[in-house]
Amino acid sequence: MTRFALALVSMLVLAGNAGAQSLFNGAGLGVPIDPVDARSRALGSAGIGLWGTSLVPGDPAAAARISVPTAVFTAQPSWVDFSREGEATDFRSTRFPLVAIAYPAFGLGTATFSFGSFLDQRYEATRAATLDLEAGPVAAIDSFSSEGGVSEIRLGLSRALDERFSVGLQLGRYNGTLTRTLTRSLEGVDAEGQVLDFRADGRWAYSATSVTAGAAATLGTRARLAGSLTWSTDLEAEPSETTEAPGGTFALPLQVRVGGTAVLAPGLLLSASLLSSDWTSTADDLRESDARNTVSYGVGVELSRARILGRDAPLRLGYRKSELPFALEDGAPVESVFSGGLGLGLSQTGSVILAGLDLAIERGRREEVGITENFWRAALTLRVAGF
Amino acid sequence: MIRTKLWTLAGLCLLGTVACQELVPTSVDDDLLPPAPVTVEVRLGWDAFGSGLQVLGGYGAPQELGSGVTARLFAGTLNARTLARFTGFPQAATVQDSAGNTRADSALTFVGGWVVARVDTLSSVADGPVTLRLGALQQAWHARTATWELAVDTINDRASWGEAGGGPVVDLGEAVWDPAAGDSVRFPVDSAQVAAWADTLDLTRGVRLDAVTEGARLRITNVFLRLDTRSSLAPDTTLVLTAPRRDLTFVYDPLPDPPPDGLRVGGAPSWRSVMDISVPATLSGPPSLCTVGCPFALTADRLNYAALVLRTRASSPAFQPTDTVTLDLRPVLLRSALPKAPLGSSLTASLGRRVAPDLFGSRPGAEIEIPLTQFVRDLLRGETATGTDPPNTLALLTTFEPLSIAFASFWGPGSGADLEPVLKLIVTAGPSVQLP
Repeated sequence: MTRFALALVSMLVLAGNAGAQSLFNGAGLGVPIDPVDARSRALGSAGIGLWGTSLVPGDPAAAARISVPTAVFTAQPSWVDFSREGEATDFRSTRFPLVAIAYPAFGLGTATFSFGSFLDQRYEATRAATLDLEAGPVAAIDSFSSEGGVSEIRLGLSRALDERFSVGLQLGRYNGTLTRTLTRSLEGVDAEGQVLDFRADGRWAYSATSVTAGAAATLGTRARLAGSLTWSTDLEAEPSETTEAPGGTFALPLQVRVGGTAVLAPGLLLSASLLSSDWTSTADDLRESDARNTVSYGVGVELSRARILGRDAPLRLGYRKSELPFALEDGAPVESVFSGGLGLGLSQTGSVILAGLDLAIERGRREEVGITENFWRAALTLRVAGF
Repeated sequence: MIRTKLWTLAGLCLLGTVACQELVPTSVDDDLLPPAPVTVEVRLGWDAFGSGLQVLGGYGAPQELGSGVTARLFAGTLNARTLARFTGFPQAATVQDSAGNTRADSALTFVGGWVVARVDTLSSVADGPVTLRLGALQQAWHARTATWELAVDTINDRASWGEAGGGPVVDLGEAVWDPAAGDSVRFPVDSAQVAAWADTLDLTRGVRLDAVTEGARLRITNVFLRLDTRSSLAPDTTLVLTAPRRDLTFVYDPLPDPPPDGLRVGGAPSWRSVMDISVPATLSGPPSLCTVGCPFALTADRLNYAALVLRTRASSPAFQPTDTVTLDLRPVLLRSALPKAPLGSSLTASLGRRVAPDLFGSRPGAEIEIPLTQFVRDLLRGETATGTDPPNTLALLTTFEPLSIAFASFWGPGSGADLEPVLKLIVTAGPSVQLP
């Protein structure tokens, strides 16, 4: 248990180092991140309504039937090619969008704890300039770095009401920091390393509270339906003592999730989900960028009885389309993703998987008018239970 | 359970592996940056940043140069004489005896020799051949403290020369140094003089090298004694052994007076120019800076570059540099202890700011820029990187003291806006970084 706790702390630290995965992070409050596992990614799901138990913050009721202590860790590397007229670049990074634990709570249900990403605001931008000084023109490079984002810690309780219905409630706390730094470097002054950079920066600490409530129903062996609502207080951005610029308050959207899975045939499952987030009221809080209501939906198919090397290895395919709330320019950015993946039970006792891996590979595109990001994204979830 | 832990460990390793090799998304889109800051160059006149200029002399001694100077009425004024003292003579030599065997012989007889002087052909100033005269010193002298007037000037002893300028001497003859012929000049000495120089306890030992030809200034890089030696093992053979120099210095007249105005560095002993620096907390121009807002608060973060800008000035002709002058700028750590105040680390690069010699002679008026960005940043911040109070006094000096008999001169306060020292600043201002 002690070793497990140490591993968990390590993963929380890693989760705090979430890296950027899109230049759309520079638009508005950044790119919203779904704290979902690799199985949801592979099925194109918003993380709700999947068959069986799961430990995903967006589906609080899904943890109700977890009978043994369980933990999941998800890593998500991505490789992105960005292009727009006159500019092409590529980048790569790794996020840890979800760390979660479920623990049977002495007959009350299942207690859950999760730490997940919410908004990613990490990016950099550069600009070349020519300065007219008395000695003549001098080249300068302006570099801007936006480092940070918003994460969410949730504590919850999930409970099965009977064999068909289950509910869940989570209390969440958004937190995070944003450090924005502008650096100007003079390139053309020959002064034996005595030319120092100009640097202006600001640092803000984010905080807000959320409540998520969800319910799920299992319709015999044929289907499962689930839904959840997440309500949040305004996101407060408190400046540090050394920050000149003021803080801010940003309205966060009401998030509505619905999803379901149908068993089309033994071993063949069809899932679908939808996420709606109304960011329009956030627009009033932003200095320049606009914001809009977004809808994300996805469908997927799972071959749950597939086996590899004598082990259960469900195969998954999915598609998901998501609107992004903030645009780099005046467009309406959309992300569309085709995905595939598999699960692998590594160690199993009876029906309980003590250790398992889920892997998802996504090929996607984010588009706004004149701007394209093509990306490969992987998700890897490690699930351990019975510790 | 062990198997579960192994799988867990393997999974954590895998997650750690995929976390490597971050490459942050970077764009050249101007819209993703805050508004461009404004960078301007500001030049503060002496009254706006400087005060308390002092020119202090007496640092180091000519002996520390490791070379001598010989001049006669150079530039119509400068007389300089090189003084040298040799080490003890060799006690033994390896020779071949009549049987052809190589043996060490300590029974040596010195039958005569030459005093050889080497001249720096590049930094010496002479229109043609220069006649030099060698004399044997007759009075006890102290190489580190000897001056034109004094043979010894230590704490417990002070003695004047019998004749000003290192005299009197026993004349050992003249020789001509021709710059076209080489870098050495030789003076023959007889066995009696050689024997007189053999006693290492004799404090009067030494030679004085004078210039006879007027208008030349020679830099003497070395003076040593070649000894004609006879061995007891091979009496028919004359060996040439060397007694290298032990001391080499010079005395000169007149000593330059402190400058009535301006800055001076260099010389032997060396001059330093010390000044107090204060940087205004706000700036009210130029207009381009005021687009951000004036008065503009000058803070350390906004300062890209700072430099002391000096205008060169022709030095006294007798002391004009003939080789590159390397300038150093150091903070004075305890001003009240001047002229012996400790100095901080150099603000210039390790080799100092190199300045061509003709900028202090035939081409004066050049602008010399010596960066001191970190020094000014510390002043603006009110503390150094180590958290101590920053010094606000600077010393301008040469990288090595002394560097040469010549010194560098600069225009000082009150010389006019185009000539007096200037503090050049490059500052950048921009609106504060905001939330999205």
